[in-house]
Amino acid sequence: MKNIYLVPLILSIFSLAVIAIALQLDTSPEMIVGDSMQARSFPIFLMILKLILIGILSFQFYKNNPKPIALEKYHTWGSMFLFLLFYLLTVYTDMFIGIFVVIFLMSILWGERRIWVAFLTATITPGLVFLLFDYVLKIRFPRGILMNLYYG
Amino acid sequence: MFEQAISAMASVIVDPYLLGLIFATTILGVIIGVLPGLGATTGAALLLPFTLTMDPVHAIAVLATIYVSATFAGSITAILINTPGTSAAAATTFDGYPLAQKGEAGRALGIAVISSTVGGIFSVLILCFAAPLLARVAYEFRSPEYFALTVFGLSMLASISAGGAVKNLIGGIFGVWLSTIGAERVTGIERFMFGNYELYEGLHFVPIFIGLFAISELLVQSKTVDKIIKTVSMKAVKLPTLEDYKKIWKTILRSCGIGTFIGVLPAEGATVASMIGYSEARRWSKNKKEFGKGSIEGIAGAEAANNAATGGAMVPTMVLGIPGSGTTAIILVGLMVHGLRPGVYLFTEQVEKVYQIFGSMFVANVMFMLMGLYAAKLFARVSLVPTQILWPIVFALSVIGAYAFQGQLLDVWLALIFGVIGFFARRHGFSVAPIAVGLILGEMVETNLQHSLKMFDGAWWMILTQPLALMFLVFAFLGLCGPMIFSWITKQKD
Repeated sequence: MKNIYLVPLILSIFSLAVIAIALQLDTSPEMIVGDSMQARSFPIFLMILKLILIGILSFQFYKNNPKPIALEKYHTWGSMFLFLLFYLLTVYTDMFIGIFVVIFLMSILWGERRIWVAFLTATITPGLVFLLFDYVLKIRFPRGILMNLYYG
Repeated sequence: MFEQAISAMASVIVDPYLLGLIFATTILGVIIGVLPGLGATTGAALLLPFTLTMDPVHAIAVLATIYVSATFAGSITAILINTPGTSAAAATTFDGYPLAQKGEAGRALGIAVISSTVGGIFSVLILCFAAPLLARVAYEFRSPEYFALTVFGLSMLASISAGGAVKNLIGGIFGVWLSTIGAERVTGIERFMFGNYELYEGLHFVPIFIGLFAISELLVQSKTVDKIIKTVSMKAVKLPTLEDYKKIWKTILRSCGIGTFIGVLPAEGATVASMIGYSEARRWSKNKKEFGKGSIEGIAGAEAANNAATGGAMVPTMVLGIPGSGTTAIILVGLMVHGLRPGVYLFTEQVEKVYQIFGSMFVANVMFMLMGLYAAKLFARVSLVPTQILWPIVFALSVIGAYAFQGQLLDVWLALIFGVIGFFARRHGFSVAPIAVGLILGEMVETNLQHSLKMFDGAWWMILTQPLALMFLVFAFLGLCGPMIFSWITKQKD
């Protein structure tokens, strides 16, 4: 199978999975729903519509034979990996440590050769944003190593 | 009503805080507009969390100002570096850059500034008159009409510029499905929550929009890190001469009409308007050969149309709660967050606030004109900010913005997940705007369908007996199938 059909295939599996999950949803008594529809009906209707459109899309692919999409450079995959790193750092250390590390590494990954520029960007940006949200907008950030020191 | 509207609009000029806010936001909007990739929609998505603690009028004024000023500012980089700052300025590159290469960058920018301002102000005036009239018509709407209207709005997704019709509709349906996550409104049955009670009220728009527009754009921009930008030098912005005005006034007026009309259509936006404005300018021009080589009519046609679409797109947003573009989808979320329910109620109970918002858009148009004329050269330099500095900053603003909305880390994870989904969708030619519009319209579609079914004792076909509902459904059918039927008839004739 050509890899151009991978998108319709994934979308179809997703739609079928949604229908399967929707069929497991609770039904409510007739006296509540009345002449209207059950909670599961609308998502199932949407997914059937989507499956029809996926069929049309596959037919378009078959007729037009689009070129396969080239794989992205390491910058893109690296940035996605940094999102994962941000998640881990936020959960296990502190959100601001996560932001600092991700900004610093992302700058380097994207081609910044001056370490001090990457370091300053990674320090000043979260610092200013924190001050703005904490002092002006009065937002409380999630607790972590740094926030515990700050909030006490 | 008229007197109330005028005094509300005039109150913007005598409110120094609001004026200052519009001034600062216009600068920010122009900066956002000149930075390639960071358009009005991404800018509005990033700024939305900052407006949470503001007064409702100020908050919407900030978002609307970003919309109009960033839409204009895309033309600065389109002319000087052949890279449209926003997709709405793509048509401006066709003639703007060639004219700049001829050493007339100042003249090209002058034409763009004046055309954008005229387009913007024209559409705000239309907005002031058309919105209350449409609101009066909408007063007659009941559930069947609203259901049919939202179906019409969703059908219009097929014609959004990016992506194909089928791909856009798939995106729109995905967005509508996202709106079903959480407790169902009538029965309270939990749908697709997987035991996560933070999703009980459904997915909130803000983190999803930050993900779809800002984070996905970050990943798209990661593919362009090696791009080298060539700039064209410029002395100063030149106002159009009398000769220029004689040549372009008809084009500007035509594009004002086209842009406003396209903007009013649900789910259409400035990008489509500028393309049509440009092609119509070419069609009606006596100097067709100049197009593509630096025609001032081409610049005026595209720029007047894209800014005229901004006011037009606000009409369905504020009157019917149906966004006219990606950015107005975010403005609509802003309205909801601040308790300004779009619709008739807004125009009867909160007229003053509505006209203050319109007045702010008017002032923003004047302010970006002044900035465009006197500081375009300075703003153009901002576009040279290295991507390796700019986009990590966007990352920080995105995650903190997503968190700040409800103080939930789940929203940050949702923003990142939807950023990745948005990136892969765009990678395969799907636009993310239909997902956003679908998410907003989803609840309206389902709720109004449920109410309609109850109204007609389960007989869904009775919706077709309502004249207005039938009209919208016919429009939806024509919108979806019209192009196919038309091409089939043409083939048969051939």
